[in-house]
Amino acid sequence: MLRNRFIFRRLGLFLVILGPGIITGSVDNDAGGITTYAVAGAVYGYNLLWTLIPSFIVLVVIQEMNARMGIVTGKGLADLIRENAGVKITFFIFIGLLIADIGNTTTEFAGIAGSLEIFGVSKYISVPIAGFLVWILVVKGTYKLAERIFLIFSISLLSYVISAIMGKPHWGEIGRAIIHPRIPVNTQSLAMVIGIVGTTIAPWMQFYMQSSVIEKGLKMKNYKYTLADIFIGCVTTVVVAFFIIVACASTLHVNGITINEARDAAVALKPMAGVLASQVFAFGLFIASIFSATILPLATAFYVCEAFGFEAGIDKKWDEAKEFYILYTGILVLAMIIILIPNAPLIFISLWSQVINGFFLPVVLVCMILLVNNKKIMGRYVNKPLNNIIGWSAILVLAVLSIALLVLPFFN
Amino acid sequence: MTSFTTFYLSRIIGRKAFDSGGSSLGVVKDLLILMNQSGQSFGRPYVVGIKLKKGKIYATYSFEHFRVEKTRGKIRVNCSQLVEVSAENINEGLFLADVILDKQIVDLNGRKLVRVNDVRLVSVSESTHVIAVDIGIEGLLRRIGISRQLKFLLSFFRIKIPSKFILWDDVEAVDYSNLNIKLSKSYSKLQTLHPSDLADIIEELGKKSSTEVFSALDEEKAADVMEELETETQVHIIETLSVEKVADVLEKMPADEVADILDALEEDKAELLLKEMQVDTSEEVRELLEYSHNTVGSIMSTEVLSFSENHTVDEVIHELRIKKPEAEELYNLFVTDDRDELVATFSLRDLVISEPDARIGQIMKPSPVYLFDDQKIDDIAEIISKYSLLAIPVVDSNSILQGMVVIDDVVEDLINKRRTNK
Repeated sequence: MLRNRFIFRRLGLFLVILGPGIITGSVDNDAGGITTYAVAGAVYGYNLLWTLIPSFIVLVVIQEMNARMGIVTGKGLADLIRENAGVKITFFIFIGLLIADIGNTTTEFAGIAGSLEIFGVSKYISVPIAGFLVWILVVKGTYKLAERIFLIFSISLLSYVISAIMGKPHWGEIGRAIIHPRIPVNTQSLAMVIGIVGTTIAPWMQFYMQSSVIEKGLKMKNYKYTLADIFIGCVTTVVVAFFIIVACASTLHVNGITINEARDAAVALKPMAGVLASQVFAFGLFIASIFSATILPLATAFYVCEAFGFEAGIDKKWDEAKEFYILYTGILVLAMIIILIPNAPLIFISLWSQVINGFFLPVVLVCMILLVNNKKIMGRYVNKPLNNIIGWSAILVLAVLSIALLVLPFFN
Repeated sequence: MTSFTTFYLSRIIGRKAFDSGGSSLGVVKDLLILMNQSGQSFGRPYVVGIKLKKGKIYATYSFEHFRVEKTRGKIRVNCSQLVEVSAENINEGLFLADVILDKQIVDLNGRKLVRVNDVRLVSVSESTHVIAVDIGIEGLLRRIGISRQLKFLLSFFRIKIPSKFILWDDVEAVDYSNLNIKLSKSYSKLQTLHPSDLADIIEELGKKSSTEVFSALDEEKAADVMEELETETQVHIIETLSVEKVADVLEKMPADEVADILDALEEDKAELLLKEMQVDTSEEVRELLEYSHNTVGSIMSTEVLSFSENHTVDEVIHELRIKKPEAEELYNLFVTDDRDELVATFSLRDLVISEPDARIGQIMKPSPVYLFDDQKIDDIAEIISKYSLLAIPVVDSNSILQGMVVIDDVVEDLINKRRTNK
């Protein structure tokens, strides 16, 4: 009897551990991500598909470090940064992240508004309702349930595969474009590359990943399952990105149609790949947007409170964790207001929140690598040389790209 | 001399220290404090050393010859003589900036973890003491360096920045990183907290500190706290501590709780612990482990008191005095026959209000409501509320008394179910 139960448990172990990596991977393809991929596919065809390969490698390496830190220390990334870097650096990082995340949340609501407009719902109706639902979901403490529902729904992200195949892509050309991309080297193409890398590896994701690893109570002993989880999550992210780019490349790019928003992609798909493809695309966008719109403000409020020592957590009452709830509600409301302003410069906001993301990513990564190499914190689980080589070169490339993105507009 | 100076740790760190001639001795990096020594009239820790950095060299000097002075709002650190601090003090003391500043500590009154933004110290004629930690927003702004400016700005709008201090007596540091301090002594203040609060705090700590704090508790307290911890933290702590230590703690816990914990562990580890525990305790736990999930047997408590109906009230009370059972055992008493079959129940109230020479058979309540050990858990809540019971006896298929289910266990089970539904 005793024995049987243990065997059953071991079988279920993988399913139990499964989660942090896959959820993070799904949230990764949020409205901002889908927009970037769609625009990349429409403008450059298959020629930017190759960027997904380095993005994938860096994503795996970074998330592995997050998971390891979470498992070994049991502390959030914000906690560790505050305890080891002091107040000033922490303040600098988190003010930046807060601003970027308000921008990102706005982008998520833009995704919700845009996708529902395809189904004929005005944004003045969809945004307040979606915002209220998201808020209630979290404050009323049914977040865990929501997360699970979203996880199931995130399978709908695979709908992009359908959209892509409906667009009848040229597989031979895709292969050729990956090995031998033909892109003009100019500011726009460079910005696009940064956009793809930046949206795939957003800084707030690192904090989210580490917290969920801790919440799951994972152990070093079962590390191979965690690695599998991370790997699957990253593969999902990149596969979805691949098919979004392919879908837009094989329909929009071929016909010379350029787009600015993910919504435009859904609209533009209609005459070429049919109404169904368009609606499938819009549905995927909606799910991705509302999923991220739930998690992003929550994660932001959580790690800001963690860093500055305010009580945080959805299991706390309003009075116990006032700062946390005010911050959470504030981010949501601010994002909604920005979306509802008539003629709000959404593309500008979306672009600049990506830029701030890109700017802070190397900073967060430097903190991470320093922490993960600190023997006092990590004991014998410090980074192996290979992790450090990939990590530091990623930081270097990202830093150069980010600086390039900030500097290049002045030369145009 | 009655003058005293109060200052913040953040205000002197990074400041230069000067000798009597006015030339710089280096930059202040940290203060070394020693916990209240016996015979010291002040209960608060006092500063014994100061860490300075000159060029690339770090050195800790005795604080005896240092003075912190404040003139017109400016802090100045003066030194009359440089004497290296004793190795003993370094071993027994703790560095404030390293161990306290920016770290989480336990607020004993609020019974939760708070993050330290700054430390307030006072210099009196002879010595310098730590008086409070600053956990407020003002401390945060002071560290960033915009406190004064922002205060000035906000004064036009009549807005005050809230500041929040906790006296040193009401806090306990928990994150000692790698200092070799005698932990049990350092965490003594934590022993005063309620086990549930302590469990909440331990759950929120990082992995290293949670184990450290737990292992510093005495066995009785540790057992109470262990009972209140979430499964994940239980597993983490058990896997980090030695088998002997864990077995000692588990022996102090009710068998049903131990069974639940062992159930969450890996088979080998559970077996190892069972072997290490005393035979009578481990036997009981093994029996409980046989029950599958969702059956009454898996949540029942096996510690029950049963008597023959021929006993007198006086005899029973006498036996209770000798056994000194836990409260829940004491409130729910059972009557069994010579084959251990359940006959009736009686309560502490029945005992207390009856004459000493009355027989249990006269005061007991026959034909009690009972549960079978292989019955599904889902039925219990209904039965308990229907008959307004605090506990129900559990019997096996031969009507032999096995244990009881207390309302507490049922509530716990219901809450867990609600949680997983979220």
